[in-house]
Amino acid sequence: MTDISNIRNFSIIAHIDHGKSTLADRFIQVCGGLSERELKEQVLDSMELERERGITIKAQSVTLYYKARDGETYQLNFIDTPGHVDFSYEVSRSLSACEGALLVVDAAQGVEAQSVANCYTAIEQDLEVLPVLNKIDLPQAEPEAVINEIEEIIGLDAMDACRVSAKTGVGIDDLLEQLVERIPSPEGNRDGDLQALIIDSWFDNYLGVISLVRVKHGVLKKGDKILVKSTGQTHVVDQLGIFTPKRTETKQLEAGEVGWVSGSIKDIHGAPVGDTLTLAKTPNVDALPGFKKVKPQVYAGMFPVSADDYEDFRDALAKLTLNDASLFYEPETSDALGFGFRVGFLGMLHMEIIQERLEREYDLDLITTAPTVVYELLLSDGATIYVDNPSKLPEGNKIEEFREPIARVNILVPQEYVGNVISLCVERRGSQINMQYLGKQVALTYDIPMAEVVLDFFDRIKSVSRGFASMDYAFERFEATKLVRVDVLINGDKVDALAMICHMDQSAYRGRALCEKMKELVPRQMFDVAIQAAIGSKIIARQTVKALRKNVTAKCYGGDVSRKKKLLQKQKEGKKRMKQVGNVEIPQEAFLAVLKVDD
Amino acid sequence: MPPLSLYIHTPWCVRKCPYCDFNSHERGELPEQAYLEALLLDLEKDLLITGERTVETIFIGGGTPSLMSADFYQQLFAGIRARLPLADKAEITLEANPGTTEAARFEGFRAAGINRLSIGVQSFNDGHLQALGRIHDAQAAITAANQARSAGFDNLNLDIMHALPAQTPEQAIADLEQAIALKPTHLSWYELTIEPNTVFYRSPPSQPDSDSMADTEQAGFALLNQAGFERYEISAFSQPGMACRHNMNYWQFGDYLGIGAGAHSKLSSHDTHGNLVITRYQKTRKPEDYLAAPAQARRNPQFIDGKDRLFEALLNGLRLVDGISLQTLKRTTGLNPAQWSPQLAPLQQQGLLTTNDERLRCTPNGLQHLNGVLETLAETL
Repeated sequence: MTDISNIRNFSIIAHIDHGKSTLADRFIQVCGGLSERELKEQVLDSMELERERGITIKAQSVTLYYKARDGETYQLNFIDTPGHVDFSYEVSRSLSACEGALLVVDAAQGVEAQSVANCYTAIEQDLEVLPVLNKIDLPQAEPEAVINEIEEIIGLDAMDACRVSAKTGVGIDDLLEQLVERIPSPEGNRDGDLQALIIDSWFDNYLGVISLVRVKHGVLKKGDKILVKSTGQTHVVDQLGIFTPKRTETKQLEAGEVGWVSGSIKDIHGAPVGDTLTLAKTPNVDALPGFKKVKPQVYAGMFPVSADDYEDFRDALAKLTLNDASLFYEPETSDALGFGFRVGFLGMLHMEIIQERLEREYDLDLITTAPTVVYELLLSDGATIYVDNPSKLPEGNKIEEFREPIARVNILVPQEYVGNVISLCVERRGSQINMQYLGKQVALTYDIPMAEVVLDFFDRIKSVSRGFASMDYAFERFEATKLVRVDVLINGDKVDALAMICHMDQSAYRGRALCEKMKELVPRQMFDVAIQAAIGSKIIARQTVKALRKNVTAKCYGGDVSRKKKLLQKQKEGKKRMKQVGNVEIPQEAFLAVLKVDD
Repeated sequence: MPPLSLYIHTPWCVRKCPYCDFNSHERGELPEQAYLEALLLDLEKDLLITGERTVETIFIGGGTPSLMSADFYQQLFAGIRARLPLADKAEITLEANPGTTEAARFEGFRAAGINRLSIGVQSFNDGHLQALGRIHDAQAAITAANQARSAGFDNLNLDIMHALPAQTPEQAIADLEQAIALKPTHLSWYELTIEPNTVFYRSPPSQPDSDSMADTEQAGFALLNQAGFERYEISAFSQPGMACRHNMNYWQFGDYLGIGAGAHSKLSSHDTHGNLVITRYQKTRKPEDYLAAPAQARRNPQFIDGKDRLFEALLNGLRLVDGISLQTLKRTTGLNPAQWSPQLAPLQQQGLLTTNDERLRCTPNGLQHLNGVLETLAETL
């Protein structure tokens, strides 16, 4: 039990690769949270996928005990935050459990756009932000210049910023001292009625729903009968505790602390993120503000390769949405692909991660269609509708005005790459809003159609700036423009799942490029396959995949039938990620061909 | 009881070829006497299952069966005859590899009762033979074929491969011309296929692309046809009436008994209610395990039921250019093929299968895409 004045709850705001995970590992090591043997690299990124990609997707927490120079022992609760541009919404969730944040900046690279955005979120949430210069051991580190950037771009006093190297351990003790000194302790009344915020929830097959909570007031004990404010359901607390970072049971969680709770909640929507917990006997405690609901920016159809997997697919999506409020789904039926779901994502990385999790963790084979943004349509009858699926677009003559979403994109780029980045923005139909020289970097603000931003803009901007440019974006407005739907026909039949919406000026080129790409991706079959692109009834491009001339196993003698069967099995395995549309086998990649036409 | 074919496996080679995934092992001195005794013990044990049936064909495969002496076969056939009846006109085939034979040996094989020889030539191009890891050169293959004929083998097959590493279409056709010039009664002409668990699978050689393979194949078919060879199976060609009876039995879902290390058997029988029962099993693969306990060599017995029977019958039968008769299907599977016509209909509509003259067969296009046809059948049957 720690006195509330000795608790410090904090997050780390850092750009990808600026060393957040290494710093977290270093804290854990200094505070003795794990033995050497247990200290795997980047312990906080617990999902297999996160470790592989080296990024944080979901919030995690760890409780550490630090003996400071003043002789006091402090409880440090570190709540991890995701680092990728697609996941900025998760950041505000993590920050809501904290009183302070460390803004970690790479002393060699300087401030990046997304850290700026996250830093503003922290300041808006009244957090004490401590700038930290990491990678101070690098020969190319320029701490003075970076301090200037922090002050100019963010407007944060950085003169006292700690200079550390998470990798070598330099400056870590000073940083911890500054942390306990400058970040305020939480405020809360431990004798008051229980009020706790659910920061995150996830499903564990043995324990049911596990929630990460920040106790604002009161005390939460094992055996307590708790009430989930939004559902009105009551549950008994079976287990609770902290992450050290191992999940460790304790007897209670007190106001100011961050920890986990499980109450045998089997309904996966039993403890929604952002909800408030209190005791069953104090049902009138106020609900906490919760979190702003985030809207998906891209939508794609997802269909099980085998129709038998539909139920499992639906259950898997339900489990994923539990702690991923941004994931949206509703049933979708496609003539070509059968029953599936229309799924909304924050961006392409989010989509890739969800697809990979569904396939790995839930063992599903899925076909994903090309992602699209949400369009606003003014119809001739005066109604305004939103369309997230090209195949659901009304007839052309019923559309009065076709509006596409525009994103406000903030970019920070070193001066030498500013030309490349501007060219890219222009190519993506962007219009410049602002341009400002700040030290070595240039801050650019552009309005760019969302459709051009979400697909691969982030990757492209990285590649034209040798990795140095950074960006942040948010939906700005809908704007009327000339858009058309390009349909794709396979052997004369329109395939709804392959349709795309694009700007009229680009439609001829995109249609041609799409057919060419499809031709590369659709394997040769027993007969010729014609791939056509059309706008309305007008064919704008055509390619043919010539028939395979033979597909037969040559010598197949002998009495070993299992051998012959295995050959067939192998052949079938190769087609696992193919979907039969009419007579034609179409591989997963072909449904995403539209994403690859610029390669 | 249907007639029986007998397969005898000899598991040894001088050197294992990099494309071979058969049960073959390199070994210096061969334990002939021990293997002979093992085969006969193995056979005796199986007779309890097969019952009294006349053996119509024998095929000795490997490995390299021509590494064993004529005396070995003399004793083996005597042992077989003592245990079950062998038809007067039984077809008895031996696989031989050039480089493991000489004239006197062929005469001995012939005298032992072997009446059909299948020579593993593969190519008449020394460079390609080396790339395939063969121990012989082109001249040795020609010599072997001539010696076989002089020794009295008037029923002679040559195995020839195409789509070899760095082989041009012209070279493939030249190999075929040379083979035809040796006047065999039968030719097996097939493309090099890279199988799992082989050296080539781990480091694949470059092969001609599939369009070029198809061109070569069309040219080869025409050449063979001109020379009087009829294509009766995907890659089997024969002079009129000289189709391999042993293989025909496999392709028509007949019964066969396999003895020797790793040999496979498929046998039908009837249960006490008179229902057809189809059993498959195999013999232990490793030669040393087999030699240690030949009477306990049987492994993985399996009963083949329902649609699996039909699928297996079609897996084999559709390889034949003439397909398989509905009556044979009915007899060997115990099923009424008419029952499956809804599943076959889509393939017929696509022009891949036909049923004429009470036979189910692939169309020429279906034969070229047999893997696709079988895949569809595997899903729909």
